Amino acid sequence: MTKRFLTGAVALLASTALAGTATAQMSEIGEGEGALSIVAWAGYIESGETDADFDWVSAFQDKTGCMVSVKTANTSDEMVALMNEGGFDLVTASGDASLRMIAGNRVQPINIDLIPSWSKVDDRLKDAPWHTVDGVHYGVPYMWGPNVLMYDTEVFPEAPKSWDVVFKQMDLPDGASNAGRVQAYDGPIHIADAANYLMYHDPDLGITDPYELTQPQYDAALDLLRGQRELVSRYWHDAFIQIDDFKNEGMVASGSWPFQVNLLEADGVPVASTIPEEGATGWADTTMLHAEAEHPNCAYMWMEHTLSSNLQSDLSVWFGAVPSVPEACTDGSGMQTAEGCTANGLDDFDKIKFWKTPVANCASQEECVPYYRWVSDYIGVIGGR
Amino acid sequence: MSAVSFDGVSRHFGPVRAVDAVSLDIAEGEFFAMLGPSGSGKTTCLRLIAGFERPSAGVIRLFGAAVQDQPPYRRPVNTVFQDYALFPHLNVRDNVAYGLMIAGQNRADRHRAADEALEMVRLSGYGARKPSALSGGQRQRVALARALVMKPRVLLLDEPLGALDLKLREQMQDELKTLQRQLGITFIFVTHDQGEALSMADRVAVFNEGRILQTGTPETVYFRPDVPFVADFVGSSNILPAPLVARLTGTHAAAALRPEALRIADAGPLRATVTALSFLGTATRVVLEAEGTRLTALLAKGAPRPAPGDTVALAWDAGDLHLMAGA
Amino acid sequence: MMRAFSDTLWRRPRLTIALLLAPPLIWLGVVYLGALAALLAQSFFSIDHFTGQVNRDLTLATYAELLRASNLDIILRTVTMAALVTLASAVIAFPIAWYAARHARGRWKALFYLGVMMPLWSSYLVKVYSWKLILAREGILTWGAEKLHLAWALNGWLALPVVGGNSLSVSATGTFVVFVYVWLPYMILPVQAALERVPPSMLEASGDLGAKPFQTLRHVLLPLAMPGVVAGSIFTFSLTLGDYIIPGIIGSSRRFIGQAVYEQQGVAGNTPLAAAFAMVPILIMAAYLWAAKKQGAFNAL
Repeated sequence: MTKRFLTGAVALLASTALAGTATAQMSEIGEGEGALSIVAWAGYIESGETDADFDWVSAFQDKTGCMVSVKTANTSDEMVALMNEGGFDLVTASGDASLRMIAGNRVQPINIDLIPSWSKVDDRLKDAPWHTVDGVHYGVPYMWGPNVLMYDTEVFPEAPKSWDVVFKQMDLPDGASNAGRVQAYDGPIHIADAANYLMYHDPDLGITDPYELTQPQYDAALDLLRGQRELVSRYWHDAFIQIDDFKNEGMVASGSWPFQVNLLEADGVPVASTIPEEGATGWADTTMLHAEAEHPNCAYMWMEHTLSSNLQSDLSVWFGAVPSVPEACTDGSGMQTAEGCTANGLDDFDKIKFWKTPVANCASQEECVPYYRWVSDYIGVIGGR
Repeated sequence: MSAVSFDGVSRHFGPVRAVDAVSLDIAEGEFFAMLGPSGSGKTTCLRLIAGFERPSAGVIRLFGAAVQDQPPYRRPVNTVFQDYALFPHLNVRDNVAYGLMIAGQNRADRHRAADEALEMVRLSGYGARKPSALSGGQRQRVALARALVMKPRVLLLDEPLGALDLKLREQMQDELKTLQRQLGITFIFVTHDQGEALSMADRVAVFNEGRILQTGTPETVYFRPDVPFVADFVGSSNILPAPLVARLTGTHAAAALRPEALRIADAGPLRATVTALSFLGTATRVVLEAEGTRLTALLAKGAPRPAPGDTVALAWDAGDLHLMAGA
Repeated sequence: MMRAFSDTLWRRPRLTIALLLAPPLIWLGVVYLGALAALLAQSFFSIDHFTGQVNRDLTLATYAELLRASNLDIILRTVTMAALVTLASAVIAFPIAWYAARHARGRWKALFYLGVMMPLWSSYLVKVYSWKLILAREGILTWGAEKLHLAWALNGWLALPVVGGNSLSVSATGTFVVFVYVWLPYMILPVQAALERVPPSMLEASGDLGAKPFQTLRHVLLPLAMPGVVAGSIFTFSLTLGDYIIPGIIGSSRRFIGQAVYEQQGVAGNTPLAAAFAMVPILIMAAYLWAAKKQGAFNAL
């Protein structure tokens, strides 16, 4: 009895989550299905509820009748997990998630002919490798930006020139050590920040891409992070907890997103951000369509909306990011200005190494350390291993 | 020297005087009963001796030494609790050996002593059982063994037979008396059952409302109660009110008249109406009413039985009418 | 009709019991045990590390992964924390429960229940975030320590390895304090219930037989309260083993089992490893209960 029950349970599990088969791309957009569900980063899909000035959902709903529901995710891995579970139409995937979902047949190819505003997309992003595989597009660029170095302007009269303030034990300009006063990102992709630092300071290692690391390069990055563990009391993974830590825990420097910098500045906390000499990692997000999306027509309408409405302009202000449509900086479709785009990193595109998933058979080297090792090793580094 | 002596001992709980200025002497080797209705202070007195309560006033002496400031674990007395208070997590042997374990005796010695104590209460072979596997009477004997194994100079028993059925109770009464005579130590027990007190004790103290009304041998408190309460509580005597006694004897005092001393006769000093009869086996209990006073008579087997509603004459021997001091 | 039904039930009490028990048993059997079996099954699968999809061939590879040093760290760290939290909860709960069971009457008793239960009414997250502020470097505890000239003690403690950190809020000590605070009521209530069932005469008997108060505590009260302590420790121990929110907000970012389950499942999509991690507390609890039974913790029940 028990044995039969177990076998049945396993069979049931196996049948409910059969891997999806790749679907051919759509050829025309039909009537809207009345609903649309999106997996997105916090702050990415605003309907005026957080701040009445920031709303790029209501007009879309009024126009198309597609009611938008949002599931926020905190990390790229969480996004992949949610898309694997299914039940969502779209995801605003970063480069460290997009290729995994393409390889796993979780997302379907996009017919860019059905998106009239595609032509307005930044040329640097149109064929970006994190959403284009063998010339096939698997998404529409959404927003991009750098992972900046946030610092306390009372401790640093001038912006720090190097990321070493968060990697190496040192005395800061106020005379006190940085130990216990700096933070680092609580996600395995932070290993790339260490590799990026080493790429600049230790050329002998021969790192050419912080996401493509041979074993010796990877070991050097982990060593650097083990040293960082001595300096970091608590890693951050939730933007709002980091904001609280800068207010109440005496934090003075950390890798961060412009989002936190903007919110802290708005609260009158003396912080600013910079991209140090080593350059920075960054994210470039893509709106991708689930392979078994239930509302594909609404999804296509939304993708067009992301490029043609006030979204690019206002979201780049709200999130401290750079629009994927360059003219959104100047066309007055929202609040963004040319200066704002520059401040958020429009001209730093080449300094930024965008997040992508580390794979074993990498392009620049013989063999690289794959992502699953990054996940478990980073947990180990944080745990003191 | 007294085993236990109370000198003006009081114990107040807020406004309630549970024990009110009690003085008392209990001799060594005595089998002493504290008798009274519930709430009369008898149990509190026992707890004062054991040390579970501290007196609000007065001095308590054990063998001459004042002990009212000593905790229970320093007093040479042991207690058999009304609910036996056996430790449920220990088996019978370990229960009995508990006090010896606390005293630091080694396992072999204390187990031997425990087995001897169990033999004394005729529970050999029960050592490995848990208390929950015993009957009420067996638990009671374990509690007894657990206290006696400590070789106390005074054994306190709180309603020791209260939870047992009638037959077992009578058997245990005999056993306790035998045991006390064998050991020769002082037994002090608390009971609300006057039959139990009279049959077992050398001396009885009758309690009411925190005070001792009378202390004496069973014969004394039974036949010569000092006050109506004792007469009523100890012997369920008929109490004749003072005016009636004055008319009958010329002395103005209440008097006690035991039911078995009353006879239904052809002529007598008192006329009464029979209101109820009940058959008790060896005797018949007759309830009567005479001049507004309710009386009970016990008629021996074979005596003529009246019927309810009959008017009869009552007679008694002059010596049986016991005049009392209290009103 | 209803009457006939009632009469049938009266004549056949076992039918009544069957009808009453059927829904919870079905729930327990199908939903609860079914989910557990599914979890167990998942832990024998493995994951394709690039696509993040589950490979349904039965394998022990996932359990082998559990034995990696960094994962063993997580398990050891969590079990140690759970044990310390349980111990501290028991030590703190005992006098409180004792007071409530033996001394509190009437209004004080009501106040006790209110005091113990009230923290349970407010949201768990609100409590944890409040503690983050209390324990922060610029929080009230640091301030209080300075005012009392005890900052040296606090800083000395925080300078210790493992338990220390930059502030209480980012130290293992902070995680411990919050765990104890949050789970304490789950220890107090069963211990109090157990102590109330101990007749006062039991303690008097022990004293009467020569035991000093500490000996009575050791030989009578603790054994008799043990079922309550064990019941409470099942709560505090298993709740600590499984929690992932408190160490995510308070502490040094070093992972606990609950976080590992949450991250492997929710973040990394590695359901098999999450399932294997989830089996750890289940096995630990089973071993714990077995050991408790062996030690006679339930003998006084």
